Amino acid sequence: MSLVRNFPAVSILLCLFAGIISSGLKKRAAEYVNTILIFVAGLLSLCTLLYILETGQMFVYVMGKFPAPWGNEIRAGVLEAFTALFFCIIMLLSLVGGRKKLADEVEEGKTFLYYVLMDLLLASLLALVYTNDLFTAYVFVEINTIAACGLIMIRQNGRTIEAAARYMIMSLLGSGLLLMGICMLYDLTGHLLMSNIKEQMKWVYLAGHYKIPMLVTIALMSVGLAIKSALFPFHAWLPDAYGYSTVSSAAILSSLVSKGYIFLLIKIIYRVIGFEVFYESRIMDVLFAFGLMGMIFGSISAIRENDIRRMIAFSSVAQIGYIYMGIGMGTQAGMEASVFHILSHAATKSLLFIAAIGLTEVSGGSRQFIELTGSAYRNKWAGVAFTVGSLSMVGVPLFSGFISKLLFAQAAVQNDVKMLPALIVLGISTILNAIYFMKTVIRIYTPVEEHKYGSMTFKDMKLYVAALFSFIILNVALGVSSQPIVDLIGQGLAMFS
Amino acid sequence: MGANLFSNYGEAVAMILFGIGFGNLLLQSNLIKKIIGLNIMDTAIYLFLAEKGYIENRVAPIVTDGVQSMEVYINPIPSGLVLTGIVVSVSVSALMLSITIRLYQRYQTLDLDEISTRLKKEGL
Amino acid sequence: MYYIILSIFFPIFTGVYLLFRGEMKNRKNLLTVTGVFFAISAVLVILAICMAGNNIFTLFCLTDRLPILFKIDEVSVVFSIMTIVVVLCAGFFSFAYMKHEEKEKRYYGYYLIVLGVLIALCFAGNLITFYMFFELLTLSSMPLVLHSGSREAVMAGLKYLFYSLSGAYMSLFGLYFLERYGNTLTFSAGGVISADMAAGHGGLLLGICFAMLIGFGVKAGMFPMHAWLPAAHPVAPAPASAVLSAVIVKAGVLAVVRVVYYIFGVSFLRGSWVQYAWMILTLTTVFMGSMLAYREPVLKKRLAYSTVSQLSYILFGLAVMEESSVTGGLLHVLCHGFIKAALFLCAGAIIYMTGKTRVEQLRGIGKEMPFLMWCYTIVSLGLIGIPPTGGFISKWYLAKGALSSGILGFDLIGVVILLLSALLTAGYLLPLTIQGFFPGADYDYGTLKKKEPPLMMTVPVFILTVLSVAIGLFPQMIIHYLLRIVEKIM
Repeated sequence: MSLVRNFPAVSILLCLFAGIISSGLKKRAAEYVNTILIFVAGLLSLCTLLYILETGQMFVYVMGKFPAPWGNEIRAGVLEAFTALFFCIIMLLSLVGGRKKLADEVEEGKTFLYYVLMDLLLASLLALVYTNDLFTAYVFVEINTIAACGLIMIRQNGRTIEAAARYMIMSLLGSGLLLMGICMLYDLTGHLLMSNIKEQMKWVYLAGHYKIPMLVTIALMSVGLAIKSALFPFHAWLPDAYGYSTVSSAAILSSLVSKGYIFLLIKIIYRVIGFEVFYESRIMDVLFAFGLMGMIFGSISAIRENDIRRMIAFSSVAQIGYIYMGIGMGTQAGMEASVFHILSHAATKSLLFIAAIGLTEVSGGSRQFIELTGSAYRNKWAGVAFTVGSLSMVGVPLFSGFISKLLFAQAAVQNDVKMLPALIVLGISTILNAIYFMKTVIRIYTPVEEHKYGSMTFKDMKLYVAALFSFIILNVALGVSSQPIVDLIGQGLAMFS
Repeated sequence: MGANLFSNYGEAVAMILFGIGFGNLLLQSNLIKKIIGLNIMDTAIYLFLAEKGYIENRVAPIVTDGVQSMEVYINPIPSGLVLTGIVVSVSVSALMLSITIRLYQRYQTLDLDEISTRLKKEGL
Repeated sequence: MYYIILSIFFPIFTGVYLLFRGEMKNRKNLLTVTGVFFAISAVLVILAICMAGNNIFTLFCLTDRLPILFKIDEVSVVFSIMTIVVVLCAGFFSFAYMKHEEKEKRYYGYYLIVLGVLIALCFAGNLITFYMFFELLTLSSMPLVLHSGSREAVMAGLKYLFYSLSGAYMSLFGLYFLERYGNTLTFSAGGVISADMAAGHGGLLLGICFAMLIGFGVKAGMFPMHAWLPAAHPVAPAPASAVLSAVIVKAGVLAVVRVVYYIFGVSFLRGSWVQYAWMILTLTTVFMGSMLAYREPVLKKRLAYSTVSQLSYILFGLAVMEESSVTGGLLHVLCHGFIKAALFLCAGAIIYMTGKTRVEQLRGIGKEMPFLMWCYTIVSLGLIGIPPTGGFISKWYLAKGALSSGILGFDLIGVVILLLSALLTAGYLLPLTIQGFFPGADYDYGTLKKKEPPLMMTVPVFILTVLSVAIGLFPQMIIHYLLRIVEKIM
């Protein structure tokens, strides 16, 4: 057995250990441990990815030498390794970008806890990505929730605690449904490992037994994960949670945490239930409809918002709608588009959050649009970065957002029934996106007469600028040479089934 | 259908409890009642699992005098799942309670809606 | 072959360079540098056209099926020459004009970027490349509209942005479908719709074509999406308005040419409801634009409305899909480009010298700056369509094409509306000449001072005037060239 096969499990364990060790460390040390950890985890994922690409097939890592139907397994395919790598990159950049601000927002004595939570979050994300066991997935979903909740309320004010409470309540509803779904699935098939469940599911499905319990199970799991990833009617907690927590938390929550759940859902669709069975259940039509509604209502709420952070948060609601629309399309192409949008949205949304903090910083800390007028001149780099992020969100060619819209549309054209609603809503939401993002860009580039606030120079924020530029490069890379990544996603999805 | 329901009364009760818990967690505005709802919901799931895992006339798989036959024991995995689930739900409840305490210290109320309206008034 | 890339990216990169470098101490330095950039860009475009041959240059691939590629064909040549001439004239004009505006460096930066993007649009070899630069054109030309930063400018800029983006999305909508129903998205004369795929989807494809026409028509100010144009063009600095009104709107025309003649193909569209609906829209726009221009007191706004009307002349010619009407349309692209640029530059020179913007304030202007007003008068006559100017030839071909099209109703109504609108054109352009040169008996000649604008302003106007007349005097060569295009695409 090659050494590389241990890497996924090692990266998860490393994260958990780092979390434990960091809880006894000072602020600085915890920060270093965390940075090195993310870097190492990313490196391990990269090695795994290269290894899989070289061998051309996924591998299964058996935890604790218990063989298949009983033991716990980790499974690494192209998509898993790539997503893990991507998550590590985004997390590293978000943390680096928000580091300076973190000192103001979190009490001095609690900073190390922030990094402990980050380590745990990374552990749970990697576990969600790699695991082949449904119950393990559930446990890490809960760990993820707890870590995310901590990240929201580590900045102590009324808003964040209330947001954390709301977030917890919604998440617990979601995970309750998910757990119920898993239990029923276990009841139906007698297995917890994804591949074994799928075999049994196929058999049960072909035999035509248990139609209603199966439908209920699929519905429970999809709705549970949809609630957790803030699909439209369940998004009430989101704007406060993203809007008032520390900036790195907001970036990571919106671009990774909710995406982790969606990734799990996609895995469940392919690896547990089976695409055909899922397709037959028509649950996807529901997801599709809610996705479309999310795309419109999220954007409308964002337009009415006067606070830049909350506006970006509401835009996340719309973008999650896009992803569910792609899943709901019920085609391979739609799923590919969704996965690509997970990546593209992660790269763009964290860029926007990080850039927004640079803009508010030079506007006396206020996030109201009035105060932000002309802030792009006071912090040039953040201004450019915010513009790039906005253009990508609106879907201008050369940036990643355009490619995901293109993929969604190509997928939609293949489905005769869902084509028109999908394309029309895509159009409306593009224009709505343009309204609020361009409004903001023009606002930050409108010159002001009197200079109330000082400006930032490059020297003050070298790391911040480096993070912004890496994000921009990531965005343009996704937008310009998307084909290899789309191919990779296609290959990964093929490995799923 | 009716007979089915009767023979599986354990599961049926679990489902009803799950519904009650879910409703409470979703609809109650009092945080403590929400947490109680959460616990009812989780417990319902464990009841469901336990009910499913138990097979009549078999014993727990604790080997005292050598393995007799596979047919004698029940499947131990559901019990294991219940234990894991309890651990998770305890930690989550603890976290929820701590958030509740924080909110109560700040706003002297347990009503989440009232906290929200007060936050809006603060305009923070 | 690399000249294609150079001619596109040299202006873009120099523009970005100007935007990002520090403020220059000396205004003269800035102008020298910008002037050199303009000159090199022009040389590169000429070289690209001369050296291109039939090469296709693929820059990179967005996805496997969507390469970004450039190709120079006859249509590119016509549009790119018009673009470079007008942009250069207006550019040198702004050297004098921008003296009384702020933030010059930024202005020239975006100006150069717009130039590069326009050239890229002319050279774009497939629909996705075209779409990409179409979006970039909107974004890079918006700072020109926003230049003054006033509330009015911001509102106009937003209007411009939203109209353009909605238009672009409508055309993108079409692109999604064409990717499925077309053999390729590369522009090829006669269309790319694959017969097998399109079989049974004719109605859908026509609907898509219509959506694309409306979408790209936004840029060309076609009814019902024209409202942005009279708002956005006048608020920009005058040379920028000249570029917006003379060249950037032509990007919409180019888009329509590409979509109709190089993607869908004439044979697919001729006689369909799309053609009729499109003709009705263009004729409505022609008439409405002239009427609105006639009623408009502010000179620059009046010229903007005139653009709305004149562009639909071109679109009408394209919609008729008849050999001579298309020739006329393409010729009018050149004529209108030169004439409208000259008109806006005149308006700019007047504003620069006198600060007056409304037509009724300009009594006696011809006595103050006779040379400029002579140029104004000559190009006005060209726009009305009086021989021997270029406008006459293009309108002649347009009318001839409409009459020979034999489409019942439209042949006559079309010509009548064209004539009526020409009358209105005279009505809204000539009062300035008449009042300018003949201010009337109560005009106080005592206060009159010769105020001819500086050479930097009059020379570009003069060049454009000469060009617009030259087209009318020596049309054979150009018509011959245009007929070659038309033969290919019909």
